[in-house]
Amino acid sequence: MLVAAGTVLVLAALLPLLSLVTELSATGRAALAVLRGPRPWELFLRSTGLSALVTAGALVVGVPLGVLIARSDLPGRRMLWLLHLFPLFLPPFVLALGWFHLFGRTGLLGTEATARTLFGGAGVFWVLWLAFTPVCTSLVSLSLLGLDASLEEAARLVGTPARVASRILAPAASPAIALSAIVVFALTISELAVPMFLRVDVFPAAVFARLGGIDYAPGEAFALALPLVPLSLLLLFFERRFVGPRSFAVAGLRGMSRDPLPLGPWRPVATLAAWSLGLVSLAPLLVLLVRATRGGGLQELPRWVGRAPWTSLLSGAVAATVIATLGLVLGHAAARRSRGATALDALSMLAFVTPAPILGVGLIAVWNRSWTQAVYASLTILVVGYVARYTVVGVRAVSSVVLQSPLHFEESAAVAGARFSRRLARVVLPLNLRGVIGGWLLAFVFCLRDLETAVLFYPAGREPLTVRLFTLEANGPPSVVAALAVAQVTLTGAVLALGVLALRRSAR
Amino acid sequence: MNARTLATLLTLALSLLAGCTSRSREVVVYTSVDQVVSEPILRDFEKQSGLTVRAVFDTEETKSTGVLNRLVAEAAHPQADVFWSGDPVRPFVLIKRGLVAPYESPNASGIPSSFRASDGSWTGFAARVRVLLVNKNRVPASELPYSIRDLADPRWKGATAIANPLFGTTTMHVAALFATWGDEQGRAFLKSLKDNQARIASSNGEVKRLVASGEVAFGVADTDDAQEALSEHAPIEVVFPDQDGIGTLVMPTTVSLMRGSPHPEGGKKLIDFLLRPEVERRLAGTAAHVPLRSDVQTPPGVKRAGDFKAMQVDYSRVADEMERMQPWLKGWVGL
Repeated sequence: MLVAAGTVLVLAALLPLLSLVTELSATGRAALAVLRGPRPWELFLRSTGLSALVTAGALVVGVPLGVLIARSDLPGRRMLWLLHLFPLFLPPFVLALGWFHLFGRTGLLGTEATARTLFGGAGVFWVLWLAFTPVCTSLVSLSLLGLDASLEEAARLVGTPARVASRILAPAASPAIALSAIVVFALTISELAVPMFLRVDVFPAAVFARLGGIDYAPGEAFALALPLVPLSLLLLFFERRFVGPRSFAVAGLRGMSRDPLPLGPWRPVATLAAWSLGLVSLAPLLVLLVRATRGGGLQELPRWVGRAPWTSLLSGAVAATVIATLGLVLGHAAARRSRGATALDALSMLAFVTPAPILGVGLIAVWNRSWTQAVYASLTILVVGYVARYTVVGVRAVSSVVLQSPLHFEESAAVAGARFSRRLARVVLPLNLRGVIGGWLLAFVFCLRDLETAVLFYPAGREPLTVRLFTLEANGPPSVVAALAVAQVTLTGAVLALGVLALRRSAR
Repeated sequence: MNARTLATLLTLALSLLAGCTSRSREVVVYTSVDQVVSEPILRDFEKQSGLTVRAVFDTEETKSTGVLNRLVAEAAHPQADVFWSGDPVRPFVLIKRGLVAPYESPNASGIPSSFRASDGSWTGFAARVRVLLVNKNRVPASELPYSIRDLADPRWKGATAIANPLFGTTTMHVAALFATWGDEQGRAFLKSLKDNQARIASSNGEVKRLVASGEVAFGVADTDDAQEALSEHAPIEVVFPDQDGIGTLVMPTTVSLMRGSPHPEGGKKLIDFLLRPEVERRLAGTAAHVPLRSDVQTPPGVKRAGDFKAMQVDYSRVADEMERMQPWLKGWVGL
């Protein structure tokens, strides 16, 4: 089974990248010449710097907020978590659009100064920081909710709540903190649409430009993306070193069953700060709703939305199912350190951090053949693209829960003669069902929010909602574009709500 | 849910996905014309022909080159039947690669011969024009710029804008200037733009925004951008540049039939539809496109091709120029 899952991942992710290596070797020095000028390196440094800043900002706010949400007596902390988390599941481009309608020159609170700030490095940082901070908050919260209660209870007998938080909770959450840093860095460095929208040149945009210029040069684009390879390897090393086999929790594994740590006199300040952040995260969505309603965009929506929501849902659901299945096999293998699992895990991570346009061109090269038209000319190509890019989500979600489940059940089944596939279906899956469903849900919303991967190869007339939003954004009526963004938000919200219901049912 | 149920569901879903492959009653069009303009026209074609149109639209940032490159990338197995280009030079990239099939539409007869290929490889219609958008609050009427060269006038240092010449109609504009002036003058002009700290915007739409907001005094964009700015009540004056010199660049939208396309008959029907005078009239009304036919009515404020001095250019030569100058242009942009 590991071989079958590995083959699917290789077909989806490795072949497209290899096809570009071939292209690179065909064009040779000419392609590599693209790296000789100072500009690509300047952009690379800028993107790396931006990613580091967003990561640092997300950690500074996300870690304490995660502790507050998981272990303090902050009022309404579950609701706050939901509010704060939701924007993470939306395309950051939608959030940028909301901020534009708020702080752009013609926005609700817009002035010359706010527009200047928004359309620049500060604006990109602001949008991405708010979009990705929930990664840190949530991973830290989940890891603390999964912490062995006895450790904390023992500490509380002898220490103050602040000391418990700094000496017990924070170190216990360190793998989650490290993982969240990696995820935020990877998401930021591969982000294309927000910097493009806010007119800031970044490295992925330069790669995209290489594919969008008049002389189609995929070899050059791949050469341009080469500096990302050592960066990806560095991320992998960092992840292996600081996260690796350590366990941390994922969605909904444990309840908030212990007494919360009292905030004491800090409670009002902490409440104000935390809730302000939660409400600020929602601001762009509310503004989009206002803009869509005021300009008649919602009435016009049926005329412009087409079949895009259906395309997003169908391709996303199928891709998420494939990803969850791969996640079950590969995630289990990674957690149990099976042979070959590390390489496949690394491949899934590499495909995630590789600029999406590169992957897209590789997918066209591999799949647009006479005998693969059933794939390339249909929605299946979207599924292939999503599987290539987001398998890492399923793998990580499942491996983290498998790490927490006892090995002896599987060993007993093996001793009783159950084959690997049977053990996986009858022991591993039921034991980790919530983790697998969580992985499926996460993969689904990642597919729903995808823009960069699909925009290059979506089948004609079958564009996902994010692509329709992006192609209409520049010249479409602003209220209609806002209404499409509201549709994207609603779709994501509905999927999440159904997913959470499924998770609750699986807990019974 | 057991493994068998999961497998059944997956098979069903995959059948649904694969069921979305090409069918005979449809036509596939790739277009770099703004989606907000082109999609309603394609929908009308669907209603009239009974064919389903499947379209791929461009994003603003890679306008005119995103779908073009996709057509090149898909050359081995073309997916598109028709390329509806926002300008007249991109089709030559495809023609040179042998990706276009000749088709002389009966509806092309009213279009001047300078705006269509004699072999039917491309046919132009409703055109955009490169104009100067001037912010009236920043530039008094007595000081209006009148030439494209004014972008490099030191008087306007740091106060002008042009879109990235690697994309969109700006590529064609720069190539047309190189073809008209020659390499030396063309390069000197672009260098003087940099020296004059002209803003390099990501798209014509951004140039429009920069001028409308007064961040720059004036910039060069297309007539449809000008119309958008005017409809948003921006303080904009539109100048057709170089009327006493080389003339203003006219860029017809064009249609080409793709070689080896999956639905050639449907493609021909779509081309016939797009080349009707009603479509030119409609594009004049909705997007301020300039009709190439002299007898097409235009709304107030929209000119016809014969109403101003047009730059005399050979689109094929401009296309050659565009490809030839790419390496230098990338260096100029900084990539």
